[in-house]
Amino acid sequence: MKYQANTALHLRLEGWRARLLLVLLLAGFVALVGRAVFLQGVHYDFLQHKGDERYSRVIESTAYRGVVRDRNGDPLALSLPAVSIWASRDDAELSPGALDRLASLLHMDRTDITHRLNQGAGNFVYLKRQVSPEVGREVAALKVPGLYTEKGFRRSYPKGEMMAHLLGFTDANDRGQEGAELAFQSTLGGVAGARRVIKDRAGAVIEDVESIREQRPGQDVRLSVDSRLQHLAWRELRATVARHHAKAGAVMVLDPNTGEVLAMANYPDYDPNARDHVTPAQLRNRSLADTYEPGSTLKPFTIAAALETHRVTPATVIQTGNGTMNIGPAVVHDSHPAGAITVAQVIQKSSNVGAARIALGMPAETMWNMFTDVGFGQQPKSGFSGEAGGRVRPYRTWRPIEQATMSYGNGISVSLAQLARAYTIFAGDGTLKPLSLVRVESPPAGRPVISAQTAAQVRDMLELVVKPEGTAPLAQVRGFRVAGKTGTAHKPEHGHYSNRYISSFVGFAPATRPRLLIAVMIDDPTVGGYYGGLVAAPLFSTLMGAALQVLGVTPDDPASENFATPVVPANAAEET
Amino acid sequence: MRSWSDQREPIDPGLLWAVLALLGLGLVMVYSASIVAAEADRHTGYHGSYYLLHQSVYLLAALAASYAAFQVPEQVWQRLAGWIFAVCLVGLILVLIPGIGREVNGSRRWLSAVVLTVQPSEFMKLAAALYAADYAVRKAALMHSLKEGFMPMAIAMFLVAVLLLREPDFGALTIVVVITMSVLFLGGLNWRLFAVVVIALVAAFALMVVLSPYRMQRVIWFLDPWKDPFGKGYQLTHALIAFGRGRLFGVGLGASVEKELYLPEAHTDFLMAVIAEELGLIGVCVTIALFAWLVWRIFRIGQRAAAMERYFAALTAQGIAVWLAAQACVNMGVNMGLLPTKGLTLPLLSYGGSGILANCIALAIVARIDHDSRSLTGGRRR
Repeated sequence: MKYQANTALHLRLEGWRARLLLVLLLAGFVALVGRAVFLQGVHYDFLQHKGDERYSRVIESTAYRGVVRDRNGDPLALSLPAVSIWASRDDAELSPGALDRLASLLHMDRTDITHRLNQGAGNFVYLKRQVSPEVGREVAALKVPGLYTEKGFRRSYPKGEMMAHLLGFTDANDRGQEGAELAFQSTLGGVAGARRVIKDRAGAVIEDVESIREQRPGQDVRLSVDSRLQHLAWRELRATVARHHAKAGAVMVLDPNTGEVLAMANYPDYDPNARDHVTPAQLRNRSLADTYEPGSTLKPFTIAAALETHRVTPATVIQTGNGTMNIGPAVVHDSHPAGAITVAQVIQKSSNVGAARIALGMPAETMWNMFTDVGFGQQPKSGFSGEAGGRVRPYRTWRPIEQATMSYGNGISVSLAQLARAYTIFAGDGTLKPLSLVRVESPPAGRPVISAQTAAQVRDMLELVVKPEGTAPLAQVRGFRVAGKTGTAHKPEHGHYSNRYISSFVGFAPATRPRLLIAVMIDDPTVGGYYGGLVAAPLFSTLMGAALQVLGVTPDDPASENFATPVVPANAAEET
Repeated sequence: MRSWSDQREPIDPGLLWAVLALLGLGLVMVYSASIVAAEADRHTGYHGSYYLLHQSVYLLAALAASYAAFQVPEQVWQRLAGWIFAVCLVGLILVLIPGIGREVNGSRRWLSAVVLTVQPSEFMKLAAALYAADYAVRKAALMHSLKEGFMPMAIAMFLVAVLLLREPDFGALTIVVVITMSVLFLGGLNWRLFAVVVIALVAAFALMVVLSPYRMQRVIWFLDPWKDPFGKGYQLTHALIAFGRGRLFGVGLGASVEKELYLPEAHTDFLMAVIAEELGLIGVCVTIALFAWLVWRIFRIGQRAAAMERYFAALTAQGIAVWLAAQACVNMGVNMGLLPTKGLTLPLLSYGGSGILANCIALAIVARIDHDSRSLTGGRRR
């Protein structure tokens, strides 16, 4: 108590001290209010901009991609709903049980999953893209922390290998990479929507700020191709390549009246639904992208040029002598000496000497004009990328021997698509039809190249080719009159002609009123002969017969309904 | 109409409502700020209401403790002040012992008790207020002398400083020193002496900052957090962005983007940033006003006790007011980029059991002092 009393004597709390301290403390609060006013009332623009930089993002929503259909509306390429599974590496927590379940759902190795989760830079990682929505739902049902699903689309090609080169495919971002998917990207692709959103640190959207661009779905494309004919072409090509142990091959089916591509098959091919191990050779659309020396399939154009300029008639006799012809130091050969034959027989028997003599009877410019008018040396402009243009040298540089060999298709290169298209002048009234991969509603006028009369004359000659005396009786089709031309060309290797061949056949039927034009090219047949009449013609025959039946075309040669299977004639050959 | 200081009330209604408003706002904002982080955190069992539930339990415990503390007359506090100070010192020693102390984010600030963890530094702030008040009353006659009036307290402070810096908890040390010095100043420490001591303290703080590169960095970068926004400036830049996004009226309760895992410690040290983003400048000003009002009321209570010559009560109350004011100012200053990051919570609002408990007990002591003043003036009988 004494101490307390003593205290009271000395202690006096001075009011000014408390007031001063209170004022100082309240000044602190006032300073804070001032700072808050600055941050929230003045400086906010800068701060909000900084904030947007951190978490405002533009996200794109994939537009639904249009369906690719065949000419009859059959879907060939379509987008199915799919789910991508992704994970946040920071947050993902997989119990051993969940890992087992996930591995079996995604058909992945456990080690593969843990590797993806633990290795690599960044927080975001796709575990698997484009799985089915059912699998996506089951994965979501596992409720694994840090594992997310993302909706999207998966491109599906229900026809598989047979349409591979025609359709092409899309990349992981749904953009066309090859074939129709690439050629019609702008129509099919649509416009991805874009929205500005705010994302949290884990990447999940927490706020939808504004729509920047409306999503617009892609539109369907209807191709000219007929799935039924495509399947036939693809099947027969595979069979022929296998039978002759060939390296590659291509088949095109055109409507000669419209220029529409009804089928385009290549070998080797691939399954567009499983492209993990596809080689460049498999990807190659040989019909459009490869050029080769066509050989004798080019003779009809030489003859047409001569007929058109009235230098010969089909009945004009050409002396082929003993089947050799000297032009300077070079010699042109026929495999079978034919003596004096008509112009029509030059085609029927595929005489190189005959073609060379006719060619040398006209100026180089006339031949060059014919080749150029039917589209050789220029891209066919089908709309597909990777088209080859082939090579036709300027006529001023032609030496006589070159003009002679070019008359039967050497020293010039074309693609199968160019060759098939060029033959449309013989199937119709002499006009060249533009090549089209989309369905054409009304037949195009085409570009006149030769007269209707010349076209008819060549057509008649082409019909002789499949007669027993011609080079390709195996190209006959029961019930129909067929016109066509064989080709067998040595493949040039290292600047010299090798003993490897390209066998080809181009023809159309019914010859009286052509509905289908088929071009066949078999690269390097090694077993069972190599002549176009032996390798390519049978494919033509089988495919043409089946295709005409599918389309219900009325036979124009009922008399041959019960014709005997032609024996392979000794002269079913030509040499170039 | 009765005024806030109506003497017929058993305790100051202004004080009561300010405290309840701050506690309520704190609970709501802790929930809002923590829900996303809680859902994303395995330690909470991915439970969004984890922090809400825990804070509610802490609040109930704090209210119960307040009720008990309200029953204790000031004379008992005065008698126990030295012992409380000593117990807190022991607590500060225990946290440094591995196995007993728990380390979080590189700091040993917590004691693992059986079911809950205790942060002794929070209670040391209260102990400092009680001890300094008792000290000033005991040494009233020596308040003019450096050697006899100030040195004993300086030695006690030195002990506290050594222990707190070992954790390290520089923020708590700052508050403890501010409380002690304020109480000594109010208790009549010779003002020339006081000025010298304050200058010496500031110099010592500055020296510590300069000598320790870790603290030096913490001090320097906050002046321009945008220089290294993804490194040292990460937390502060996100807090500042939160203020900017909030503008005048805020983005709305629950709508903060910054709390979506961007702003670390959103429910503890950086709760103010979430308040600023969701409730805007209005919310910030209301919060600051509530604190200012609270501090003013406590000072008034202290002055009334002083007028009745209850010096220990007066100094204790004002010491507690200084504590709340200083810690709130430092916390908000850190949030707004005015001060370097300290690791201090916002009193009464931030998540944390020890902080809430210490704050509420302190306010119960103030309420009891006020209640006794009212009884003594004969307004109402207990």
